[in-house]
Amino acid sequence: MIRARENPIAIQAGVLALLVHGLFLFVMIFSFSWKHVQPPAAAEVELWDSLPQPKVVTPTPAPEVKPEPPPPEIKPEPKVEIKPEPKPEPPPEPKAEIQVKPKPKPVEVKKPPKEEPKKPDPAIKKQEDEGKRAEEKKHKDQLEQLKKAMLQDVPDQETPPAPAVDTKAQQAQSAADAKRAEEILAASSGVVNEYKAKIVAQIKRHVNRQPCGTDKRELAYSIALMPGGRLNGSPHLIKSSGLPACDEAVERAILQAQPLPLPPQTELFDQFRNLNLNFRPNEDQ
Amino acid sequence: METNLQDFSLLSLITGASLPVQVVMALLIIASMVSWWYIFLKVFMLRRAENEANEFENTFWTGGDLTKLHESITSGHRSASVQGMASIFEGGFKEYARLRRQGGLESSDVMESSRRAMRAAFNREMDELDAHLPFLATVGSVSPYVGLFGTVWGIMNAFRGLANVAQATLAHVAPGIAEALIATAIGLFAAIPAVIAYNRFASNVDRLAIRYESFMEEFTNILQRKV
Repeated sequence: MIRARENPIAIQAGVLALLVHGLFLFVMIFSFSWKHVQPPAAAEVELWDSLPQPKVVTPTPAPEVKPEPPPPEIKPEPKVEIKPEPKPEPPPEPKAEIQVKPKPKPVEVKKPPKEEPKKPDPAIKKQEDEGKRAEEKKHKDQLEQLKKAMLQDVPDQETPPAPAVDTKAQQAQSAADAKRAEEILAASSGVVNEYKAKIVAQIKRHVNRQPCGTDKRELAYSIALMPGGRLNGSPHLIKSSGLPACDEAVERAILQAQPLPLPPQTELFDQFRNLNLNFRPNEDQ
Repeated sequence: METNLQDFSLLSLITGASLPVQVVMALLIIASMVSWWYIFLKVFMLRRAENEANEFENTFWTGGDLTKLHESITSGHRSASVQGMASIFEGGFKEYARLRRQGGLESSDVMESSRRAMRAAFNREMDELDAHLPFLATVGSVSPYVGLFGTVWGIMNAFRGLANVAQATLAHVAPGIAEALIATAIGLFAAIPAVIAYNRFASNVDRLAIRYESFMEEFTNILQRKV
């Protein structure tokens, strides 16, 4: 293999040759990304501070409002002080709201007189509340915020165990939230199921049944949706039908069926973000 | 979808290939290893030969007694281990000195036979210098074809597998082709350095041969003057 003359440097050369190959291998492995990476699909996103409040909610917060007599007290007082006009008891609603705004400033002033006029308040308050409910719902949020603010202010002035009241109020609210969510779920599950069926039906329209043969086949895909009904990423096969060709036919159908139908209520979209869909390509629905 | 999620790491590409392709890859890797080994050997050997030629020419042309020079060359080592230009000088001068001691010969005969001795030493030196160059030339010209053979075989397999699938997608063929192409890549990796090294070494050896030959001519002239 090598000449006698080359013997003394043979090992050195061999080590260098190995080094060259090792270096090349190292460069090959680490300079190049061997992983198969899918380019991230661009998605349009709307940012919401909070979920839009569904309209059904009105009955739930009502009980909360009644146990807070103090806040509304303030309403009549400023009227009495500031406005000499003849409107003591039945304050017209729009004005009541306009007067609500100056409230934060006179809060300190009102501290002492609070104890005395407590009794008349609930009645007036109820009237007011009822009137408001009937009249306009868009200002409700405003009112609620104000009430919350009051809730936090009032316990300090009235009752010694202030923090306890605070937490109670919070608990009550979180409970109310949970209730609300449940209600939405109950109200929407019908819609969700309807739209799931619609999605499956739309995909089925695009399935090429030929590769699936005539046997009863069942398969399941999981898909991720974006708002607008487009697929996010690619469908993932959960359960194969046993025929790869059939699985692929369904997969193509999913891709072709875009955009998939989604309910118009945006708040329901959460339940369509990830879907597991079952298909029986050979059966008509 | 499974094929899409598969990672195309170097190792999985090599281990996933079919047996003939793997054999081709192994052959090519061995060829690449050996050719790099020879490349480093030749680099060292040629550099040494050049340095020795420079050294010898320096000492030779500074003048001085040829007999002393001959002794200094042969004293250190056995005469077989004298290398390069020194061995040419040694061969020619030994023959010349022996014939001169013998006496009774025509000067043209003495010159002729010492020239023959130098030619023989020169040929031995050239043989040493040319060692391994044919191997490098072979690797440089053949290994791309060997790699190509592996690739063709791998692609053939990929398409044969494709025939069993009702609906062919790119995802079915891509892994097979990627595996197959690794063979060509290894072939090129072996071939390119071999070709570059071959060309470089061939020109180095040519230059050394020219130096040796011109030394032979000049040394013949010197001996001629002495006769």
